[in-house]
Amino acid sequence: MSKAANDVVIVDGVRTPFAKAGTVLQDVHAAELGQIALQELIARTNLDVKTVEEVIIGCVGNPADAVNIGRVVALRAGIPQNVSAHTVHRNCASALESIATGYNMIKAGSAEVVVAGGTENMSQAPLMFGKKMTDLFAKLQFSKTTGAKLAALMQFRPSFLAPRVSIVEALTDPFVGINMGMTAEILAKEFGISRLEQDQFALQSHLHAVEATKNGLLSQEMTPVYIGPDYKKVLDKDNGPRDGQTLEALQKLKPYFDRRTGTVTVGNACPLTDGAAMVLLMSRARAEAQGYKPLARIRSYAFAGLEPERMGLGPAYAAPLALKKAGLDFKQIDLIELNEAFAAQVLACRKALASVQWCQEKLGLSSAVGEIDLARLNVNGGAIAIGHPVGATGTRLVLTLAKEMKRRGMQFGLATLGIGGGQGGAMIVENEG
Amino acid sequence: MSIQESLKIVPKGEIALLEWDHIGERANKLSTPIMIRLKEILEDLKKSSYKAVVIVSKKPKIFIAGADIEEIKNLKSKEDFRFAVESGQGIMNAIEDLPIPVIAAIHGACVGGGCELILACDHRIASDDKTTKIGLPEVKLGIIPGFGGCVRLPRVVGVMNALDIILAGKTVPAVKALKIGLVDAVVHPSILESEALKLAEKVIKEGGKKRRKSFSGKNLQEKLMNSVLLPMVYSGAKKQVMSQSHGHYPAPLEALDVVKKSHGKSREKALAIECVGFCNVAGGEVSRNLVSLFFMMENVKKRTGVADASVKPREVDHIAVLGAGTMGGGIAYVAADNGVHVRMKDITTDAISKGYQAAARVWDKLLKKRRITKYEKIEKMSFVTGGLDYAGFKSMDVVIEAIVENMEIKKKVIAETYQQCSPDVIIATNTSSLSVTEMAEAHPRPENFVGMHFFNPVDKMPLVEVIRGPKTSDEATATIFELSKKMGKTPIVVKDGVGFLVNRLLIPYLIEAAFFLQEGMDIQKVDDVFVKKFGMPMGPFHLMDEVGIDVCVKVSKIFKKSLGERLQLPDALVKLEDSHRLGKKNFKGFYKYDSRGKKQEVDSTIYAELGLGTPTNPLSDDDLIGRAMYNMINEAALVLVEEKIVDTAEEVDLGMIMGTGFPPFRGGLLKYADSVGTEKMVDSLELYAKKYGLRFKPSNPLRNMAKTHRTFYS
Repeated sequence: MSKAANDVVIVDGVRTPFAKAGTVLQDVHAAELGQIALQELIARTNLDVKTVEEVIIGCVGNPADAVNIGRVVALRAGIPQNVSAHTVHRNCASALESIATGYNMIKAGSAEVVVAGGTENMSQAPLMFGKKMTDLFAKLQFSKTTGAKLAALMQFRPSFLAPRVSIVEALTDPFVGINMGMTAEILAKEFGISRLEQDQFALQSHLHAVEATKNGLLSQEMTPVYIGPDYKKVLDKDNGPRDGQTLEALQKLKPYFDRRTGTVTVGNACPLTDGAAMVLLMSRARAEAQGYKPLARIRSYAFAGLEPERMGLGPAYAAPLALKKAGLDFKQIDLIELNEAFAAQVLACRKALASVQWCQEKLGLSSAVGEIDLARLNVNGGAIAIGHPVGATGTRLVLTLAKEMKRRGMQFGLATLGIGGGQGGAMIVENEG
Repeated sequence: MSIQESLKIVPKGEIALLEWDHIGERANKLSTPIMIRLKEILEDLKKSSYKAVVIVSKKPKIFIAGADIEEIKNLKSKEDFRFAVESGQGIMNAIEDLPIPVIAAIHGACVGGGCELILACDHRIASDDKTTKIGLPEVKLGIIPGFGGCVRLPRVVGVMNALDIILAGKTVPAVKALKIGLVDAVVHPSILESEALKLAEKVIKEGGKKRRKSFSGKNLQEKLMNSVLLPMVYSGAKKQVMSQSHGHYPAPLEALDVVKKSHGKSREKALAIECVGFCNVAGGEVSRNLVSLFFMMENVKKRTGVADASVKPREVDHIAVLGAGTMGGGIAYVAADNGVHVRMKDITTDAISKGYQAAARVWDKLLKKRRITKYEKIEKMSFVTGGLDYAGFKSMDVVIEAIVENMEIKKKVIAETYQQCSPDVIIATNTSSLSVTEMAEAHPRPENFVGMHFFNPVDKMPLVEVIRGPKTSDEATATIFELSKKMGKTPIVVKDGVGFLVNRLLIPYLIEAAFFLQEGMDIQKVDDVFVKKFGMPMGPFHLMDEVGIDVCVKVSKIFKKSLGERLQLPDALVKLEDSHRLGKKNFKGFYKYDSRGKKQEVDSTIYAELGLGTPTNPLSDDDLIGRAMYNMINEAALVLVEEKIVDTAEEVDLGMIMGTGFPPFRGGLLKYADSVGTEKMVDSLELYAKKYGLRFKPSNPLRNMAKTHRTFYS
């Protein structure tokens, strides 16, 4: 496809290292994670921040003290006050949504320079008081006399203190009431994906990620996090990938969600994670005028819906749609980043896309979309090893994909992921050479 | 005419709005013409039918900035001072005695005479703007409040709060002023005038009565502290003043005395006591020195660092610092603290961590003391970033090099850095001992290379030496001069030369201390003489521990090469080099340090270690001070007159006060020299030269001054 002035290009991108929740980044606020990634992006691109027209940040668990976290990230990173910023939410694809929104703005001609990205600190997902305790607080506040206050207090029962765990509620489907892990179990059973297949896939994720960490590929897309408040520690690589991970160790784990008949374990699922990722989007005309050599061009994106209890199959719906919009055939895709929420879900997507029957039934196509070549899938590891900070992953996938395409000199790439609540998202990017 | 317009009454129905806007001046000041005009207005008001007065300022950031210090400087005799004080007191009395209530609507700086004026008003209402600061900074100029401040402030806010402000020369923000009752209400600046007018209407409606606020204390403790426990309050205040000033500053003591003596007296008697107190300190040597220091600082604010007024400094918002060590981290702190984005570059993430730590530590301390909020800390911290590569350097306005003190490495890094920046980038070096001229060779455009010498600890030491190499452009000099100011520092422009200005003078002083040690002096005794008797912030041994004994020895050796016989290295100093005593940084120096690095007593094992016996203290205090100071002054004469490292004696003094903490009450090294007299100094130096060595030989310029009976300032 010929180049056009209003093509949307990714100038460059930066992410923080990802850390498993409850570890080194647990005290770094999501806004600060976003700030650190964005500041480095500004530095690497020597960006004149006055030219930025919009900052769009994905975040799933918006911190209560930074509800429009996009604005907080923007101002803290040094984006001028007169530049607008907002936060987008599409669950696990929030940071794909942010890029898609930026893409739309530039395509529509309403902006030429947009920062998109996402940030998440899952360690800091709060515990909440339950309804009974909340009601008690309200009563106390409205009681005028000491007597009334005492009467209210008398109703207190220790059980009131049992918290609602926001992270558990967030990972529970609001329609069918099952945990995300159970949605993976459904796919594993329906698509006949064995425990061994899942564990082998998880092992590959670690092996790939460890290698890409060791040979410095992943660090090319990262900036270290200097960890406050005392700044005595630095995180300069993902802490999820396990060097020396063995299949045996993975096989020993007990199923976590369906303990009796299940196959999904914490070893073949992604961990809760903290991290942030940012990309700089421009119209081709603007990027060229400012002398940038962009990383990639965004060819298309698509989101699609499906049954909430099969949310992990989302990519199988969204990817064909994105391909259609880009006018490309699946065979033309050289490299794929498919988010590894669960090994079972990734492998189910692979089976579905290769199945004539499934593609006919669900997508209304006459033939199968095609078989994903494992040698081209998540070549630097995926979320099982690296982690899945839900609000940041979408951007991380696109960034990792674009950087690897550049290194390999490949033309077309697909970044795609399943979305809690029953959706899929996909984006097709083209190497700018 | 302009004076008429500077202070005028705008009728608002029954209320007279007194608008204060000194035409042609940045600030409203209580200058003589304004005071005459104010008197005239007060006379008019007395005769008018207005029922209330509201005083407002039309300046954006200043209510009244106090008396005109230029005028104070020109007052000479006691009579002059008495006349000035009495007329000022008279005007404040006239405000107080107006038959109608007066309301001050305060926005911006309200200090000195301005504060005394609002104290004479019936009601005070202030804006909650950041610029609103109310207080009595007189003691900072070596004088005391003389327009009734010592009398009225204790009456309005109680003796304890008043002493807190007067003795330290403090100003307080609006919220604090409200808390202690110095103002009655605080409102948003946009509604200040209308709220003041509303208050005036209310007061008129309620009968238009005058009001004399008198402090009674909110609780029992406050009541007691303002009555039976007053002697305790006074003695506590005195103790605090003495511990901070060692009695070198007469003004706070005088102010304390005035507050004490005038408390409970009639207005007339109290003001008479204040007047006497004022005249006791005004015009004295300390006050004259502090006033001249004030003007030196004012000059720095006005100047650009170059003679050509058409040169415009570049706007600097983004800087990079090479090296995130002690100095680099400190520079990052002062930059970010003052809203300059700063990127630290170093070769390991650990090194950059140290830079972050250095900055965070200072803010954490301020946060703990509630001087900044947690939001401010997060914001300031966000101005600091770090990296191992040159990312972002194309956008840098200025790069400050603070890497290891090694000419070859510095030159290599400067050349490399230039390649990564935009072609007109200004690169500054924070070297303290290397030649800026030679280093400039590494910059392809040496006109954009300059020295920017910060002092350690950077967050505390206010001086920056801006070192101009032979090729440095006016623009680069002015840019770094302005950047220093933006970073909250006091810059002086100096020429390149060994040790530039401050270290050139300071090193001989430190070396002399090593001679004292060698000659049998006790370390603690020497330090005490320089701190308690002379007024230095710390003694020479304590200072060497802070700077690092190894650094002192290293720099002394470098100096020796250039200064020849004017600098001699005592054996004690040379031996120290091999002693593993580095000072505070390895907890082992002239003093002992606890595990947290806090200074303890003198480490008496040092005497034996250096082959010295028990100290016999053969030198008198005067000898110690004379040798150390005259030595510096002798060198200063060369620096100023022959080498022209700086242009004026003022700059030497400003440099010494801001760079070494030389006692401000002495006005600086050369003001001190002039107080001794050049002739006496040459005589003493000749004597010292015979007795202690050639390093004391009077320099030619000093001899010439003595011969022609000139001083440094004449």
